[in-house]
Amino acid sequence: MATQTESESNAGGVLMRDRLVKRVGEAVAAGFVLAIGGLLAWILSTQVDYRLLSSPLIARRFAEAFFLVVRIVAISSVLSVSFGLLVGLGRISTSDVTGRIAKGYVEFFRGTPLLFQLFVIYFGVPRLWATGQFPISDWAVPAAIIGLTLNHAAYVGEAIRGGIDAVPEGQMEAARSLGMSRVMALREVVLPQAWRNALAAIGNDQIILVKDTSLLTVIAVPEIMSVFRNINSNQLDPWTPLVWVCVLYLVITMSMSQLVNGLERRSDWGSDSGMLGWLSGLSSKGGDGGDNS
Amino acid sequence: MSDDRPVDRRQYLTAVGVGGLTAVAGCAGGGDGGDGDDGSDGGDGGDGDDGSDGGDGGDGDDGSDGGDETTETITIGSDIPYAPFEYRNEAGDLIGFDVDIAEAVFSGQLGLDYEFQETGFDGIIPSLNNANFRVIMSAMTINEQRAESVDFSDPYFTAFQTVLVLEGDDISAREDLQGETVGVQRGTTGEAAAEDLQEEFDGDLEIESYDQITGAFDALLNNQVSAVINDNTVSAEFAAENDGVVFLEGDGVAADRDDAPPYLTLTIEEYGIAFRQDDDEFREEVNGALAAIRENGTYDEIYNEYFEA
Repeated sequence: MATQTESESNAGGVLMRDRLVKRVGEAVAAGFVLAIGGLLAWILSTQVDYRLLSSPLIARRFAEAFFLVVRIVAISSVLSVSFGLLVGLGRISTSDVTGRIAKGYVEFFRGTPLLFQLFVIYFGVPRLWATGQFPISDWAVPAAIIGLTLNHAAYVGEAIRGGIDAVPEGQMEAARSLGMSRVMALREVVLPQAWRNALAAIGNDQIILVKDTSLLTVIAVPEIMSVFRNINSNQLDPWTPLVWVCVLYLVITMSMSQLVNGLERRSDWGSDSGMLGWLSGLSSKGGDGGDNS
Repeated sequence: MSDDRPVDRRQYLTAVGVGGLTAVAGCAGGGDGGDGDDGSDGGDGGDGDDGSDGGDGGDGDDGSDGGDETTETITIGSDIPYAPFEYRNEAGDLIGFDVDIAEAVFSGQLGLDYEFQETGFDGIIPSLNNANFRVIMSAMTINEQRAESVDFSDPYFTAFQTVLVLEGDDISAREDLQGETVGVQRGTTGEAAAEDLQEEFDGDLEIESYDQITGAFDALLNNQVSAVINDNTVSAEFAAENDGVVFLEGDGVAADRDDAPPYLTLTIEEYGIAFRQDDDEFREEVNGALAAIRENGTYDEIYNEYFEA
C-alpha cells in the first residue's frame, strides 16, 4: 500500500531507479539459483542411486539410445533443412499453384501434432497393406525420420520465408536492375542474406527437433526416453535414470547451439563465407549455363 | 488512472508469487510425505495449499485416513485399454473384468464410491506411491519385484504369458523365436518374459516395447514384430478378432495344469490389486470383500461374462 502512494506522487515510481531495479533483478536471479541449486543438491544427494547411475549395463543402454538419437537427428536435420528450403521458396513463389501448395503443406504439418503424424506414418501407413505384408520390417526408425523431416520442414520453410521477407525489397530491385533474372537475384543476392536472417530460427527449430525425438518412444524406437521408462519401471527409481536423460539431451542440444552459433558467425553480412553463399557458389558453377540460355 | 495500473499488476504479481511459492512448498512436502520418513512436515505443506492431494501424500505417517475412508472416493489407477480387463466400448463407457470386480468389491461389498483413473502401465507403481490414486487394478501380476514397492491383495485371477504369431509365418515352436523381433507392452510381465527369453537366447532376440498393448498388436499386423508376448486372455481376445493371428503352439510351463490354455505358456501369473505399503487395513477389507464375492457367486458370474469356459 505504501508503494501505491509513492508511485502516484512520482510517475514511473520505482521503475525510474535503474540501479535499484538492477539490484532487485540480481537478488531474484541469485535467489532462483540458490533455490534450484539447493533442490538439485538435495535430489542428487538423497534420490540418486550412484551404484545404479554408474552401472555399465545402464550406461551401455543409454549410450546405444544416445547414438541412435544422434543418427536420427543428423539425418532428419539435414533432410528437414533441405526440404524446408524448398518449402520456403515455394511460399514466396510467384506461381499461385506452388505458393498455395507450400502454404497448405505448412498449415497441415504445423497444424497437427507431431505425435499424430508419427502415428499416421508408423501405425497407419503399413495397414494399407494386407496383414503382415508390409514390406519394411524395421519401419520404426524410417518412420521417425520421415515424420521429423516432414514436420520440421514446415517450420524451417516458415523461417526461410521470414528470412527472405526480411531482406529489403531494394536488394531484389537492385539485382534485377543489373540484369539478373528473379531466380538468379534470389540465389545470388537475396538468399545469402535471408539465410543469415533465418539461421537463428532454424537453429531454434532444429533444437526442438532433438527434443521431439523423445516422442519416438511411443512408436517403439529405443531412444533415450524409452530407456528411461524401461529402467524406471524395472528399478522403480525415477531420479537415477533421469540424470542420464538430462545429461544426454543437453549434450546434443548444446552441441547444436554451438554449431548454430558457429554458422551464424560464418554468415556475416556481406561476407562470401556464409554457408549458403558457399553452397550456391558451388552450384552456380554448374547452373550458370542453364540460367543464361 | 494510468498510475494505478502498475500497482494493480504489482499486487497481482505479489499474490501470484506467494501462491507459487506455497505451491512449490506443497510439492516438496508431498514428496516427503510419500517417502514416509518425515511426513509431518510434508503433510503440512500440502494441506495448506491443495488439501486433497497433498493430504493424501502426507498420510504416510499415521492412520488418520482410516477415519474418513467411508466418505472418500476410492481412485483406482489403471492402464486402459487392456481388453477384456479394462477397456471402453463404442459409447466410451469403461467396461471389463477388473471394472466389474471393482464394482462388486468397492461398491457392492464395501459400500464405497470408486472411480477409475487412466494411467500408463510403466509408471503405475510410482504413481500409486505418489498418491495419485488409492489402489491399482490393472490386470497386474503379483511378483516379488513389485511386492518390494507395493502390497498386493489376495490373487483374483490367473494368467499365462503366451506368444501370438501370424498364421503361416515360419515360427512354429518356442525355439523359432530366436533371432526374431517380439513386441511387448512396456513395464508388463510380458516384457519381463521376453527379457528372460532374450537371456535364454544369449541376447539373440529383439524386443520392441510399446506404450499400450494395442501398439504391439498393431506392430504384429504391420510386420514390425514377428510375435507378441502377453497375457493369454488379452491376446485371445485380439486373436479372436483378427483372422490370421494365432497362438504359438507347444507345451509350456503350465502344461500339467487343468486350467492351462491349449498353447505355449511361458509363465504362470496371478493378478492382484496393489496397495501402498501403509494401507494394510484397507487391503484386509478388500481381501475380505474378494473372498465374499467368490463365495456368493458374483465372481463366477463376472468371470463367465468375460471368459466363457
